[in-house]
Amino acid sequence: MTQATGAPTRAGVVPSSEEGLSPNLQAHIGRHLRAVFDEVAREPIPDRLLQLLKDLERTGDK
Amino acid sequence: MRRRVSESLRDSLVGEMTNLRAFAVSLCGDRERADDLVQETLFKAWNHLDSFHEGTNLKAWLFTILRNTYFSERRKRRREVEDADGSYAATLATLPEQHGHMEMQDFRAALTWLPDDQREALILVGAAGVSYDEAAEISGCAVGTIKSRVNRARNRLGEMLGMDETTESEPGITKTA
Repeated sequence: MTQATGAPTRAGVVPSSEEGLSPNLQAHIGRHLRAVFDEVAREPIPDRLLQLLKDLERTGDK
Repeated sequence: MRRRVSESLRDSLVGEMTNLRAFAVSLCGDRERADDLVQETLFKAWNHLDSFHEGTNLKAWLFTILRNTYFSERRKRRREVEDADGSYAATLATLPEQHGHMEMQDFRAALTWLPDDQREALILVGAAGVSYDEAAEISGCAVGTIKSRVNRARNRLGEMLGMDETTESEPGITKTA
């Protein structure tokens, strides 16, 4: 587990500097990013978190 | 001491929890750890509610607490265990709970490979519906810094996923690492 220190990049690929990617590619990344986020955001709140909220309401602080 | 929390503030707090969880999972790549983070955030928020002004940006306030908690744990962990970014991220990237089709798996993995600050900026602006100004406030840096982090994050993702103008649909990460 010690050798994996760098991101997997393809040899010879030069990042296209600060001005960014094409709108197409940006949109592609944006869609995936929102999918990752929304997948979790759509889930119901886990019981343990709701329970914590109840406990906090009951007792104030710890 | 019993806190008097208005009904509406409590409701808003619950209302933000789904977003807060999504932010936490995207940020750390691990559901269980994310829920620990949310739990801690909720706890801290509750105990500092008097420093929050009702009517101001609750989401940004909660996000700030969560990311500060995450980053300070991360720094501590890095001091304790000698764990280079990559090896930790690599572990997260292969968690069995991360299902979905190949392209999404590749994307999740690539996300965990990004430097923390770039991943944070990208998630905030690109998925969490936070403005550049708010993201700067949450991350405690200049707006220009957020913009450049987002750009670098996008470039790097494009690179890692092996996407360029001609091979856009071809995922490039090998899963065997």
